[in-house]
Amino acid sequence: MKDIKKLNREKGFSTLFLIFLLILTCGIFMSLKIKIDNIFRKKIPGSSIIYIPSGKYLKFASFGNSSLLADLVYLWAIQYYSDYSIADRFKYLDHIFSIINELDPRYLDPYEVGAVIAAYEAGDLDLTLKILDKGLEKNPEQWIFPYLAGHYVQMIKKDYKLARAYYEKTMNIEGAPPHTRHLYADAAFKSMDYQTALQTWLEIYKTAEEERIKKIASNHIYQVKAAVDIQRIKGAIEKFKERYSRNPMDLSQLVRTGFLDSLPKDLDGKEYLYDSRTGEVKPPSIPWKR
Amino acid sequence: MKIRAIALNTFKEAIRDRILYLLLFFAAVCIIFSRLLALLTVGDRVKIIKDVGLSSLSIFGALMAILIGTGLVYKEIDKKTIYTIISKPIHRYQFLLGKFFGLVLTLFIMLLLMSFIFLALVFFHTFKIEWEMLIAILFIFVELCLITSVALLFSCFSTPILSSIFSLAFYLIGHTAWGLETLIKKVKPGFGKTLAQVLYHFLPDLENFNFKTEIVHHLSIPSEVFLFSILYGIFYTLFILALAILVFRKRDFI
Amino acid sequence: MATVLKIENLHKSFSLGFIPKKKKILNGISLSVEKGEIFGYLGPNGAGKTTTIKCILGLIFPEKGKIELFGHPYLSLKAKEKTGFLPENPYFYDHLTASEFLYFYSQLFLINKKEREEKIESLLRLVDLELSADLQLRKFSRGMLQRIGLAQALLNNPSLVLLDEPLGGLDPLGRKEIRDVIVRLKEEGKTIFLSSHILQDIEMICDRVAIIVNGKIINQGALQDLVSEKILFTEVILSGVEDKELEGLGEYLSGQAGRTLLKVFKEENVEKVLELVHSRKGKIHSLIPRTETLEDLFVGIVKQR
Repeated sequence: MKDIKKLNREKGFSTLFLIFLLILTCGIFMSLKIKIDNIFRKKIPGSSIIYIPSGKYLKFASFGNSSLLADLVYLWAIQYYSDYSIADRFKYLDHIFSIINELDPRYLDPYEVGAVIAAYEAGDLDLTLKILDKGLEKNPEQWIFPYLAGHYVQMIKKDYKLARAYYEKTMNIEGAPPHTRHLYADAAFKSMDYQTALQTWLEIYKTAEEERIKKIASNHIYQVKAAVDIQRIKGAIEKFKERYSRNPMDLSQLVRTGFLDSLPKDLDGKEYLYDSRTGEVKPPSIPWKR
Repeated sequence: MKIRAIALNTFKEAIRDRILYLLLFFAAVCIIFSRLLALLTVGDRVKIIKDVGLSSLSIFGALMAILIGTGLVYKEIDKKTIYTIISKPIHRYQFLLGKFFGLVLTLFIMLLLMSFIFLALVFFHTFKIEWEMLIAILFIFVELCLITSVALLFSCFSTPILSSIFSLAFYLIGHTAWGLETLIKKVKPGFGKTLAQVLYHFLPDLENFNFKTEIVHHLSIPSEVFLFSILYGIFYTLFILALAILVFRKRDFI
Repeated sequence: MATVLKIENLHKSFSLGFIPKKKKILNGISLSVEKGEIFGYLGPNGAGKTTTIKCILGLIFPEKGKIELFGHPYLSLKAKEKTGFLPENPYFYDHLTASEFLYFYSQLFLINKKEREEKIESLLRLVDLELSADLQLRKFSRGMLQRIGLAQALLNNPSLVLLDEPLGGLDPLGRKEIRDVIVRLKEEGKTIFLSSHILQDIEMICDRVAIIVNGKIINQGALQDLVSEKILFTEVILSGVEDKELEGLGEYLSGQAGRTLLKVFKEENVEKVLELVHSRKGKIHSLIPRTETLEDLFVGIVKQR
């Protein structure tokens, strides 16, 4: 009798022990994971890519899932290009985006985003145009590609003849916004100023039927507003420096000392980022990632 | 010790399994085939060989662990060889642990063989023995131990086919769970987000054992990461084994 | 007399099928086995014999009931140290040789290395497999497998040996050999618990039996108590007397090559038959009184259910 009770108690103990062990080990490995994640976040930026196969090879390797592979590569590319700590990340910008385009030529987002990164972050206008040209070639119904090309050419390169040619292409595509005609005409005379840019993008935003076009317009509006605001802020900083021979501590100081009427905020209502050591002002979000 | 007896016996049985040698053959083919692939590339040829080699070791090792592990306990119950063992004065957990260590030993030998082929090929290209590769391989081994324990767990209550599918799912989830992190950032804070976060920390993160890229590019890795990763592997394996023992204890052997 | 095995009110059901349907296999089994006896556990196929044995060994967990081995709770390691088990249709690791096989199992007991070698040798001798010590089990015949299984059950010199259908599938010579081993084990002081549905073997060697039908013990007790010694009929084989004259004395069964087989029910008629044969100068070839056998008892019981 005694033995049976003892055995049952032992059995109960060992079950309890096992459950305790389960909870303990679970807790330990979960906290270890948190620890490891933290370390990884601090260190090891993306390792440089030495070998990337061309899109053609990848298409074979995907065994019929080339558009899925395009999605995955694009997803990866977005994370990769958001990491500003990777210094030489633009080295393979062309290659990576051409892989995505080759795998899925009808995937429209990569053309647009690739172009933005190339234009504003990498400062490579030729690449921008290359990407947009290919986009149009594979998707002739997309007026947005030559439109963007014209836009970038006018704002960055200030090559009005080339911009005009792009606007002409745009006009001839069905669905292009009516004001393209005006842009076509104006491109003959002047560079685009921020006002016009803002106006044209607002109009596209209001009249666009596709969600995608609306998003592109919204991002460009963001960008223009940010450019205008940053210009104002920088002007105020310059005047501050002239007076006090140093950079202001923070942006609100500019308002208190009267160099700015009010502190401009970005399109989403967030404050601009300011580095008091270098005097740099930056928008709080990555425009193409909003 | 009794666990050792079962382990050695399991090892002897597993090492005869033809699947092992089939997979070993394919791994060798992959590694050697990488030599041909290397000819297609421009630039650093050795990188392809190293990448294909390490990935082969990882993938084929995982296949070995899953294909043999899922049959370990199920076969014994199905073939009734387990009757004469459990009826002896041995605890059920000793039996289970013996099976586990037996398979781990088998995988260790197999990994050793594959590593030898791999390092030999690398040697032919760089004319030096790259000992650092062994670090990546060590972590592949830790990952295999964890996968073995999972295969063993499923083997305790499920047929080999289902167990293989579940174990494979574990492997895939383990290598893609990091994506959940970026997804969580986009979710608004609230109950859903907390739940997702808990899930994220609970799911196995097999990427913790993945140092292939870093080793191939000779990047330096902080030593704490090594320690924590190994500990992570050990504790997650312990967790799965404890679960397996709990499941196995009350099993009726009809 | 010490009770080696005691089972009280054992219940066990299984849930089978995709939509679990509960099937009751053991419905309140109670029995006890005393030290030094050969206990027979009989029943038709599917009655629950193997299930009972698996419950005793901890391979299956009963819903209700109590089991005690040597006075210890049955699942304790101490109880298992003194038990040996040979399953029905045994399957073993067939890549091992006979001695490797026994060596492996010996490692599961607390036997030290020196004793191990001796033990393995003597066991192989006991079951007459000395010459096959280095033969792989996959090459063993059915009878050989049964014998090596028996060897494995005796490795730890158990006080109680559980045998599940040990004589199934063997030829008559094989069955005799195993029966002899069992009797020898009893002489060494061991207790044997064997289950079978072959009644002749049980009758030959068992001291006590329990009969299980549909999960319940129908009858339990010493063999001689269960089977009465009353003579049911006498079988007589004779020649030299004409069939007509034998009428009324018994049941005429067959006639071949001049010999008549007669089944005589009444004792006095046997005398009359003998007188008749003597007076006609015939010959009695055989005279066999038949008592109730276990088979008769068994069939009778099962038919009642």
